[in-house]
Amino acid sequence: MSTPSLSVRNLSVAIHLREKISTIVDQVSFDLEAGEVLAIVGESGSGKTKTAEAIMGLIPKISWQVEADAIELDGRDLSKLTEAALRKVRGRQMSMIFQEPRTALDPVFTTGQQLCSIYRRHRGKTKPEAVSAARKMLGRVGFADAERIMGSYPHQLSGGMRQRIMVAMAMACEPRVLIADEPTTALDVTTQAQVLSRLVSLASEFGTSILLITHDLGVVAQYCDRALVMQDGRIVEQANIEDLFADAEHPYTRKLLASVPRIRTG
Amino acid sequence: MTEKKQDLLALRDLVVRYHVQGKPRTYLTAVRGVSLQIAPGEIYGLVGESGSGKSSLAHAILKLVPVESGQILLQGQDLGAVGKTEFNKARREVQLVFQDSLAALSPRRTIRQTIIEPLNHFKLGETSQREGKVIEALETVGLDPALKHRYPGDLSGGQRQRVALARALVTEPALIIADEPVSSLDVSVQAHIIKLILELRERLGIAFLFVSHDLAVVQQLADRIGVMYLGKLVEEASANSLFNQPSHPYTRSLLAAVPVADPHHPPPIVLTGEPPSPLTPPAGCVFHKRCPESIASCALTEPEEFLVDGPGKQSANGVNLKSAEHRVKCHLCNPKKP
Repeated sequence: MSTPSLSVRNLSVAIHLREKISTIVDQVSFDLEAGEVLAIVGESGSGKTKTAEAIMGLIPKISWQVEADAIELDGRDLSKLTEAALRKVRGRQMSMIFQEPRTALDPVFTTGQQLCSIYRRHRGKTKPEAVSAARKMLGRVGFADAERIMGSYPHQLSGGMRQRIMVAMAMACEPRVLIADEPTTALDVTTQAQVLSRLVSLASEFGTSILLITHDLGVVAQYCDRALVMQDGRIVEQANIEDLFADAEHPYTRKLLASVPRIRTG
Repeated sequence: MTEKKQDLLALRDLVVRYHVQGKPRTYLTAVRGVSLQIAPGEIYGLVGESGSGKSSLAHAILKLVPVESGQILLQGQDLGAVGKTEFNKARREVQLVFQDSLAALSPRRTIRQTIIEPLNHFKLGETSQREGKVIEALETVGLDPALKHRYPGDLSGGQRQRVALARALVTEPALIIADEPVSSLDVSVQAHIIKLILELRERLGIAFLFVSHDLAVVQQLADRIGVMYLGKLVEEASANSLFNQPSHPYTRSLLAAVPVADPHHPPPIVLTGEPPSPLTPPAGCVFHKRCPESIASCALTEPEEFLVDGPGKQSANGVNLKSAEHRVKCHLCNPKKP
C-alpha cells in the first residue's frame, strides 16, 4: 500500500479557559489516502473544524494548546516545522476552503489579483503567465466569462461564484491535500452541486486528496469515499461510505443517520 | 382567481421593488406579481434559491420592504389601505421568526425581557399576568422557564430559535412567518424545531409561511408548497403533488440537486449557469436560459399558469388540502401543445 497523503497521529487540541483546560479535540488519529475524499462528519461543537485548523497550523498559540505525535504530509512532519516553513507548505502542498468565502477573500483586491498572486508566489510565474493560468483555472471551475470575473471584486459576485473562486485559488497549486470546511453549507442546493462537482473532478485530475468537513450526510454519501464520525472531540467511527450507510456501528452515527431529512418522491 | 372566504392571508399580484442605491432611476424588482393564499392553520412552504425573492415576499407582508403594487389581504382586510393604528392591530396577528436568531434577539435583554416586550407593546392582558405568560410561552416551546433570566449569548442555536418562537407566540398570532428558521441549525436540532412547529399548528391552530431553500425540510411540514424563481411563483401544489409530480423543470432541477444520503442513489444533477440578475430579467419564461428542456417559445412569451392537477370542485367543508390545485407556469405543461 502506498503511503497516505496525510497521516495524523494522536492530535489533541485544548483551550485554556481561566483556570480550566478544556479539550476540544481528543487523541485523533487517521490517514488520508492519496486521491481519496474523506469526510469528517459531526454536529457543531464536535471538534471537526478545530481538527482541520490544527492540521493547517492555523490555531493561535495564545491560550490554545495543540499536541500531536505526528502530522505527516507525504512523510514530512508538519508539527516540527517552523512557522516560516509551514507557510510555504500552506497554499502550495496543502490548501483550505472555508465555509464563508466572503471572509476568506480580500475585499480590496479583484479576484484576478488574488488568484494571480498565488501563481506568482508559489509557482514563480511571471505576471502574464499568472494571468493566463488564472484565466484557464477560472474556466475550469465553470466561469464562461473569466475576463469579467478577474476584474470583479468579491462583493460583486454571488455566494456560489465566490466559493468557486475559492476552489480555483485552493486548487491553483495542484496541492496534495485540500481541506474543505463546510464549503457549501451557506449555498443553495443547485449551487452546492455545481461547486462540489467541480471540486471533486479537479481533485481527481490533480491527484489531490480531500478532507471534507460537513454535517450534511447527503453530501457525504454522494461525494466521499470514506468518513470519520466525530463526537465530543473523538473519532467514534471510521468507515467506507457503503458500510457507513448500510451498517453503522456506533449508536451516535445511527442517530445522525436517522435525523437526516429525506425527500420522498414517487 | 376568486378569493375564498376562509383565506387567512391572500396576496394578489404583489410586486416588491427596491431602489438601487447610488443609481438614480434604477430599480430591482424582487417580487414580480405573486398571488397566493394561506388558509388558517395551514403550513405553506415557500422555496427557491437565494435571490428568488422568497424573503422579500415574506417581509412584504409586514411592509418591511417597499411594496410597489398589489394587495395584501389579512383576514379580508387590505393591509395596504389601512391606517397606522389598524396596521398595528393586524401586526399582532402576524409574527416573524428569522434565520439568524442571534441577530434577531437583543443581546442586552434577558429572555424574559425579550418575550414580555410584545405583551407590553400591544398592551395584552393585565400587567400582573404577563410574567405568567412568559413562563407559559417558554413551556410551550419546550424550554426550561428557569432560562428566562439568561441572555441570548448563553443559549445554543436551537434554544435561541425556540426563544424566537416563544416571542412570536405570546401575541397569539394567526400566522407566523418563518424565514429560514432552521437553516443554520444542525440536522438533529432542525428535526426538533420542525416537530415543534407541527405541534404548535396542531395545538394552537397557527398558520405558518415557512420560507426555506431546503426541499427536504419543507417536505416534512408543509401542506402546500410554492416554488419561486426570479420573483415569480413558477409552481404551486400540495406537498404530495409537488413531490410526486414536479412539473416545472426548475422544480425538477431543485429536487435533482439535493444530495441523497444513500451511496447507491444516482449523483445530483448539476444545473448549469447562474440565476440571471433580477436587474435584467430575461424575456419570455424566467427560467429558459438555464432550462434543460426549453423550446423556442420559452424565450419569446411568458408562459401562463396551467392546471396540472386539482379538484374540479371545492369540497363542501372548506379547503381540502390534499386536493389543492397544482398549478405551474411552463409552456411544456400547456395542454394545447403537448
